[in-house]
Amino acid sequence: MIISPEDKAHFVDLQKGIDSIFGRSLRIRQVDAGSCNACEWECTALTNPVYDIQRFGLDFVASPRHADMLLVTGPVSKQMELALRKTYLATPGPRIVLACGDCTVDGGVYKGSYAVTNGVANVIPVDFYIPGCPPSPMRILTGIRKLLAVLIGKQAGEMM
Amino acid sequence: MERVYKKAVGVKKFLNEEYIEVGADDFRDICTYLEKKQGAFRLMFAADERRIDGTFKIYVVFSIHGKDAFAVIVLPLKDALFYPSLTVNIPAAHWYEREIKDLFGLTAERHPDLRRLVLHDAFPAEVYPLRKDHCFKEREWVREKIEDKKIRSYEDKKDTTSQLLSFPTSYSFMQVEGEGIYEIPVGPVHAGIIEPGHFRFSAVGETIFFLEPRLFYTHKGTEKHFEGMSFSEGVKLAERVSGTSSFSHATAYCLAVERMSGIEITEKAKAVRTLLLELERLYNNIGDIGNMCAGTGLAVGYALGAVTKEKLMQLNDRLTGSRYLRGANVIGGVTKDVFQQADDILNTLDIVTKEYKSLMKLLLGTISHVERLENTGRLSKELAQKLGVTGVVARASGINDDIRKAHPHLLYDRLYFEPHTSVRGDVFARMTVRAAEVECSISMIDTLMESGYKGELATAVKDIRPYSHALGYTETPRGSVFYWVMSDEKGRPMRVKLRSPSFCNWPAVPFAVHGNIVPDFPLCNKSFNLSYSGCDM
Repeated sequence: MIISPEDKAHFVDLQKGIDSIFGRSLRIRQVDAGSCNACEWECTALTNPVYDIQRFGLDFVASPRHADMLLVTGPVSKQMELALRKTYLATPGPRIVLACGDCTVDGGVYKGSYAVTNGVANVIPVDFYIPGCPPSPMRILTGIRKLLAVLIGKQAGEMM
Repeated sequence: MERVYKKAVGVKKFLNEEYIEVGADDFRDICTYLEKKQGAFRLMFAADERRIDGTFKIYVVFSIHGKDAFAVIVLPLKDALFYPSLTVNIPAAHWYEREIKDLFGLTAERHPDLRRLVLHDAFPAEVYPLRKDHCFKEREWVREKIEDKKIRSYEDKKDTTSQLLSFPTSYSFMQVEGEGIYEIPVGPVHAGIIEPGHFRFSAVGETIFFLEPRLFYTHKGTEKHFEGMSFSEGVKLAERVSGTSSFSHATAYCLAVERMSGIEITEKAKAVRTLLLELERLYNNIGDIGNMCAGTGLAVGYALGAVTKEKLMQLNDRLTGSRYLRGANVIGGVTKDVFQQADDILNTLDIVTKEYKSLMKLLLGTISHVERLENTGRLSKELAQKLGVTGVVARASGINDDIRKAHPHLLYDRLYFEPHTSVRGDVFARMTVRAAEVECSISMIDTLMESGYKGELATAVKDIRPYSHALGYTETPRGSVFYWVMSDEKGRPMRVKLRSPSFCNWPAVPFAVHGNIVPDFPLCNKSFNLSYSGCDM
């Protein structure tokens, strides 16, 4: 009832991608850069028994130093700008930056406010976006799957 | 109240709000009298009305005990940028006065602590963003300051890091000195998937001697941003103030605008809103009870709570197209007739009720869990009253306060319920109050589903008269939320003040954790379950 068969089909590719590129383990550090907290709860939901992302080798880690990927949410408030830069620099390279939620693109509903920087790309380089306000857990997973597909494509390109 | 009227310069009545204008000399006395004898302090804010009559105004809102009425004390400030501080007599005003100082540059005289609260070092001093003459150009200073070319080059790692770390900070934390006292700084980027905030613990061994939170990292200028939108666009923004209270925030905002413009919403719209408010409360409370298990390391309780919550979120998605009930509210009513999916709601509720009951049985039967909750993070009734806390936290400390009961709105006057309180004031009490609210929400939803409701989903929006204003309020899962809206000469927003429950409850956290051990802090924090984004705005 909880996850549809079509959605489950994504899981196979997801697993393959993580196995081949990240040696079975992709570690994510989530950074809230001024989001409304809805995206955080969707990330938290990913670790519940329904989605259970740990089984794919995906997990949220406590420190950027342990992470392969930063998952940034929020329009980046000016008071979080410095903390976000520091977190980025603390993440060992090569690192992927995944911006999650509509407001990471251009500030979303907060665009133009005096206290936001209108999107993550104005602060640190972004590799991928997952739109949605907030993107549902399934959508975040699908997003990560697509991201892996792009990375596999790149790898194949480099080999040739 | 006679005593207040005698000193008043002018009294204006609007619906259940009474605006009482006073002079600066009587301001503190009247407010103190109201708080001590007549009612509860709700919120305090400033508005820049220099365009209308050349004054800044300070508004203090009290709700009067025993009746559905608000007393709003208005203090106009002509040619003066200071006013008498209330904090000495009403400690609950502490953060409000610091907020007014940061955003409007109006100083509360004799306030004990005038450090900056809302704005950090990214904003230079003497920038008061909520004043009307704060123009866009002033906003550029931050970019100049931080956007040094070297800092922007990401690869020049060593150089940048040292520069970033030497970023000056002018905020001085409270210093605790003495033998064996050491500081633990935490945040703003935390270990878990939570919002940013900085906590400075001064600990003796494992015991927390003093905690100073520094919040407002997620300050997004929401109140000012409302002014740049139309009232109907503002619903979208209100939904995004605090993720898990999206619907309550939007409802309070819509109610404020509807009251201001005299829109009478239909019975159907009221019923849908009441139902969705309770569904929001339900998923939050069940999620919170589960989350407390993460604080005690009871993985199975955490997992069960998360699954039940997920079922409610998916129900929200089926009902409104959003897991957070976004897009369901508009000015004048609602967009979806959720009563058409009555079967789905009742079926899901059946499953959820069963799961919830077995979860509670498990939790209350697990001694190691209950033992951690009892006597942890205690907040006494006296302190809670002084600090003006709201919602579950207030009720768990023995304050019988629920805005649904004190100021009935929507269909709450028709539904029978009693706010559940506890005298313990500890984490355990906050869990049992939440549990009682879950049962209360379930029975309210059942009652709501029994009858049919007449009317359109939404009524037409009316033109808004210039310079009209009104309060809107409701009870979020965390406590009462208030919106105060005012229109300008063209009927667009001139000032939107929002006060989320987290803003009231955050100052209570340091008192609750005092004397507890550091490892219990996450547990205390989870039992409060406060929103950073809602507080920081």
